[in-house]
This record gives sequence, structure tokens and C-alpha cells, in this order.
Amino acid sequence: MRLLHYINPLFAGITILVLSAFCIKNPFESKNTKRFQIEGLAQGTTYSITYYSDSESVKKPRIDSIFSELDQSLSIYNPNSIISQFNESDAGVEIDKHFYNVVRKSLEIHKATDGAFDITVYPLVRAWGFGNERVSIIPDSAEIQSLMPCIGSEKLRLSHSRLEKSLPCVKIDVNGIAQGYSVDVMADFLESNGITDYLVEIGGEIRVKGKKHPENTPMSIGIETPSENAFSSTGIRQVIQVPAGAVTTSGSYRNFRKVGSRRISHIIDPKTGYSASTEIISVTVIAKDAITADGYDNALLLMGLKHSMKLMKKHKNLHAYFIYQKPDGSIADTTTAGFSKFLKP
Amino acid sequence: MAAQSNSRRQFIATGLTAAGLSVISNPLFAARPKAADKIRLGIIGTGSRGAGLCTLIKEMPDIALVACCDTIPENLQKGLSLAEKGAKGYSDYRKLLDDKSLDAVIIATPLYLHYPMAVAAIQAGKHIYLEKSMTYDIPQAIDLVKKVNASKLVFQIGYQYRYYGLYHRVKEIIKENWLGKITHFECQYNRNSNWRFPVKDPKMERQINWRMYREYCGGPLSELCAHEIDVVNYLVDSHPLKVVGLGGINYWKDGRDTYDNIRTVYDYPGGVKASVTSVLSNAYNGYSIRILGDKATVEILRDKAYIYTESTNNAKGTVDGVTGATLAVTTQGKGVEVAYGKAGEESLEPTVYALQDFVKCIKDKKQPISNVETGRDGSIAIHMGNAAADTEAVQIWKPEYSV
Repeated sequence: MRLLHYINPLFAGITILVLSAFCIKNPFESKNTKRFQIEGLAQGTTYSITYYSDSESVKKPRIDSIFSELDQSLSIYNPNSIISQFNESDAGVEIDKHFYNVVRKSLEIHKATDGAFDITVYPLVRAWGFGNERVSIIPDSAEIQSLMPCIGSEKLRLSHSRLEKSLPCVKIDVNGIAQGYSVDVMADFLESNGITDYLVEIGGEIRVKGKKHPENTPMSIGIETPSENAFSSTGIRQVIQVPAGAVTTSGSYRNFRKVGSRRISHIIDPKTGYSASTEIISVTVIAKDAITADGYDNALLLMGLKHSMKLMKKHKNLHAYFIYQKPDGSIADTTTAGFSKFLKP
Repeated sequence: MAAQSNSRRQFIATGLTAAGLSVISNPLFAARPKAADKIRLGIIGTGSRGAGLCTLIKEMPDIALVACCDTIPENLQKGLSLAEKGAKGYSDYRKLLDDKSLDAVIIATPLYLHYPMAVAAIQAGKHIYLEKSMTYDIPQAIDLVKKVNASKLVFQIGYQYRYYGLYHRVKEIIKENWLGKITHFECQYNRNSNWRFPVKDPKMERQINWRMYREYCGGPLSELCAHEIDVVNYLVDSHPLKVVGLGGINYWKDGRDTYDNIRTVYDYPGGVKASVTSVLSNAYNGYSIRILGDKATVEILRDKAYIYTESTNNAKGTVDGVTGATLAVTTQGKGVEVAYGKAGEESLEPTVYALQDFVKCIKDKKQPISNVETGRDGSIAIHMGNAAADTEAVQIWKPEYSV
């Protein structure tokens, strides 16, 4: 899932992110558990943290300071961030623990997805106009070819304190995974404050644990129906309940550029240099943590349905739900074997 | 030092002349159409709008502006200064129309003159680009349709927004059902000014500030809101069935007899309502059209449009969180800009597109998109709106209007 820090004029203007459960006071509830909600803006999107606790042990300023710490490390829109320094460097930079965690996981998923997920895709992302600057033209094949030598995670070398690159033109973009990581950081922060019932959501990426109170029922997560065009409102296509874990979605339906009648997706294939064009419209992944789910969802979108299903068979702890377009143009959905047990009864 | 830079300047000038000559003498470099291929155009009325048109035409390679007409000498001089070298100046439009070498004319005069001038131009066999709105009253509109249809001339009305990519895109969005069911249009064309031009000689007041007087035009509705009424007609592919309205002169009590505020509501087929407002004492969002659909709103401004999505509740009831493709924060509560035109392509003044199409229609012998029939519908709607405000009674579109 990408962080969106600038407006593509064609972005969907869709509104509902979180429909909070109503807080109903039940006089017969024995525990004194209350619902707390923190909402705000971060990483170019909205976030919402809901937790159930006896006291307001986590407040907004603390959450926002964690966001700013993450930003300092991972935001390509912040010219002083570690990632920006790395991209500007010739050989590499010193890194912090967030940067290490994200790059380490990225390299792991790169390997597991046979290179479909690749953070070194950034020069291509920029050329296609999805980087930190707008471009008005689309790149030609010569430009794409000239960038291909800079692409490939094997050009990175990671240690706990440094990230090195083998060519100066290697630049990375962790937007496909950093939002999931941020969700995990927030969830871990809640847990370190003794909170066991919560739902953290940043830009549609979620981590959830426990139940809501006083109802003592599982929390429900809606999977958005992809919109057929950039602006129409979406509804909920499926509702799932995950006792403890993460749910993320990657879709080509919201972040794209339109050139003539062509839609150019923001997900660029690191192997070809061109925008992904598979039948998958949206893929939702359930995993134990959000960094894993978020890293895989982009890769699956790029790999297409057949390869995705094959890959998922190898990963028993990952579950996926796909909305895709059939050759006749109609929209259908399918899931991996393990996904259906999460569907709300 | 001075001498040096002088000689340098001379050298550049000489160089340029030489280059210019070589271009003319070498037919391979003749990118601009030859004089014979150009539309020979005359313009009647070179006041503020007419001179504006002349400025745009100057940059258009397919048109040679070779005649200008205006009764006010300063206006005429202005027009001639923007026309081709050797262009002829007239104070009597009939003399201009007598010029057999002219292919086409633009009429950019006060509204009450549109009909007689257009009729004379048809009789003279000229293709016509007539500024909006089309006619002063309803009978003239109906009669002009007959006269144009009996001729084989291109007759275009200066509703340039029908040629503007922004409106094409909005129409496309509507067709693709992005807005859902459209129930209302809210149009305003407001300004915070007395809407007057300075008058040196008091005798010239009515000639210069003709917009202030009903004898010459329909006031804000015919001179400002006309565009918006035409846009609604264009977007719904229809014309209004009835209209109610209120108007008054409540702010600029300066001797004018056209309204300084008017608010009308037009009723279109299917119960679609279009409010059309002009207020001359407030300029917030001066020009705007909001299209209200049950899925989203489009707000059209001068050269931009924004779309605002309606929130809808999901069918499966309340959930605690929603997972989906990341939503840009800037799209929530704020409008998303509607993109139009080709990426990287320079956007031109809408009137340029309209004039380009006028040239094309003449060359291809086709009737324009903004034609005598759409012009008639606009003029009748304007007249009905003013009549509704004048009489404070509902005005109904009569079947004979559309024949």
C-alpha cells in the first residue's frame, strides 16, 4: 500500500474509512472498560486507533510523535529523512531501527515473491509520476531501459547500522510496506501500555486484537468494494473478523494516472519497468503482522491471480482475498483456502 | 560600449530579416496557410469583447481579420490595431457586409443588434459567429432558426464552453454515472462591482453601458448567466420547461433598469431543477456551477472542476474498520480536481477552441455544436427567466418555441 502525499487529480474521493461502533453504556456491564478513539492525519492519509481500556492510557500527542519519528526515517516526502539521504547518497548511509526493520522485511519478501516486491523500484515509480514529484509526460521505452540497471534488491547490502548500495543510482521506496510497519509500531505501542483490545488503522491497513466492550464481541473489518471509476463511493464487499492479526489491502483502483483512455496503475513491475496490468483489482491479505501483510499485498497484485494462488499455498500463515476482472469484463472474487474461516458468520 | 551594443543589435536585426526572407522564399518552410486558404473575416463590434476576440484571432493562422466595424472610433481603432495590415475600418456594418471578399463575420455587438445584423449577414451570404446570447427576444430567436436553416451558412453562437475540454469531461463523468442521479444544478455568476465601463462623454452612457438598460439587453441573465443556462442545456441535452424568478435593483441604484440581482429556478425534464443566480454585490466564487447528484457533487469554476463524493453507509451494517486501497487524505471532505485534456498539453482560452471549430465548420461545411437551435433554446430560457422575475409569475415553455 502506498503512502499518498500528493494529489493525483484522479484519485478517488471516497470517504468512509472507519465506521466506529457506537459506544453504548450498559448499566449491567460489570467491568469499567471504556472505548477510546484517536483519529488524525499521518503519512498522507488518515489514521484511527480504537482501544478498550479502563483508562485513557494512550493519548494522541504520543501517537503523533511516533508518526513523526517514523517520518524522519522512512518518508520519501521528507528530504531530510534517512530514506531521502540514502537515495541521494552515492554508496549508503547510517540507519535507525525502523529503517532496518522495514528494509530487512522488504528483502525477505523480495526473495519470497521471486522479486515481485522490490523496494529498488523507486526510479521507475518516479519516472511514471508516482514519486514525490508530479510528471506530466509518460516515460518512453528508452527512458525505462536507461533506468533498469538501477533496479534490483541485490544491489543493496543491509547491516544493523547501515544500508549500502552498489550503484549511486539505486534509490528505494518503502511506501509499499512502511504503512503496514507503522501499524505494527502503533499496535506494539498499545500493547506495551497494557492494552489488549484494539484496532489500529492507517490508510486502510489494519491490525486488530481482542474484542470490543462492553458487548464483548469480535471486531468486524469491512473489505472495501473497489470503485469502478475514480470517484464513485464504495461500499463493503465482505466483512471479516480476525481475533489477532493484520489485514491490509492493495488495489489498483484508487491510485492511478489516466493517459488518454489508459489507466496507469501506481504499482510498477520491477522486472519490466512498466505499470502492472494483471486481472487483480484488489487483494486483501491477512497475516500475523501488518508489515508482512502489506509487503505481500503489492506483490500479489503484480503477480496475477494464478501465481499468487501458487505462492499462497507455500505460506500457510498468509490468507488472501482477491477481487478480479474476468476475461469477459465481469468482476468476481476468490480466496485462498484459509481465508474463509475469517468471514463474519 | 554603447556603439558596440548598438551594432550588435543591428546585426541581430539584419540576421532576423535575412532569416525571415529565407523562410518566405522557401516553400518547404511555409508552415502557415497560404493567404488563399485563410478565412477572410470581418468583425462587427470591437468593444471589450470584440477586441478580446481580435487578440485571440491574431494568433490563429487560419483566419485573416481584414475588416472591422464599430460606431465608436476608439473601439474601431483598437480593432484595426489587432487586425491584419491594411484591414478596412467601417462605422456602418452594412458597408462591411457589402465586402464580397469576406467569407465570414463575427458579430460582437449589444444584444438588441444581434438579430438585425445576423439577418443582414445571412442575406449577404457570410458565415456567422454571433456572440451570446443569440437574440433580444423570443420571436427573433424562432425567426432566426428559420432563416439560418434556409441558408447554407455556418452559424455559430459564442458559447465557448461547449468547446472546452473541462465541460466535455464533466459531461463524460455524468454519462459514466459518477454523480449518480442528478437532481439539481446551482449556477451563479456573481461579481462585486457596478459592472460599468467609464464614460468620458455623458452622451455616450447608453452606448457604452448598454448592459444597464433593458432597451438593449436582458441584464445579468442575458449577459452573464447565459453561459450557465447554455451549460445546463448542454449537460442535460434539453431545455427548461418552466421557470420562476425574482429580481430587483436593490444595491446599484444608479439609474440602471436591468436587475442588479436576479434569482431564477428553471425546471427541466424529470424534475431536475437549475437555480440560476446573478448578484452584483458579492464576488465569492463568482462563477460557479454545482451539479448535485446522489453519489457526488461536481463544482465547476472558471477553469477547474472539483468532485465531492457523498458518504454512503455500507450495506452490511456497521464495522469497526475498513480495509482498502489507501485513500489520499486530501480527497476527504475536500474536492478532488477533475482532470481534463491531455497530460502536458497547454490549455488554451476556451474561445480559441470555439473559433478553431468555426473555421473547421466553414471548411468542412458542417453546422457547429453551438448552433442556431441551441442558441434559440438559450435565448428563450433567458427571456423566460427575465419575464418570470418581471411578472412574478411562472413562465412555461410553449410548444411552438421548439418547432
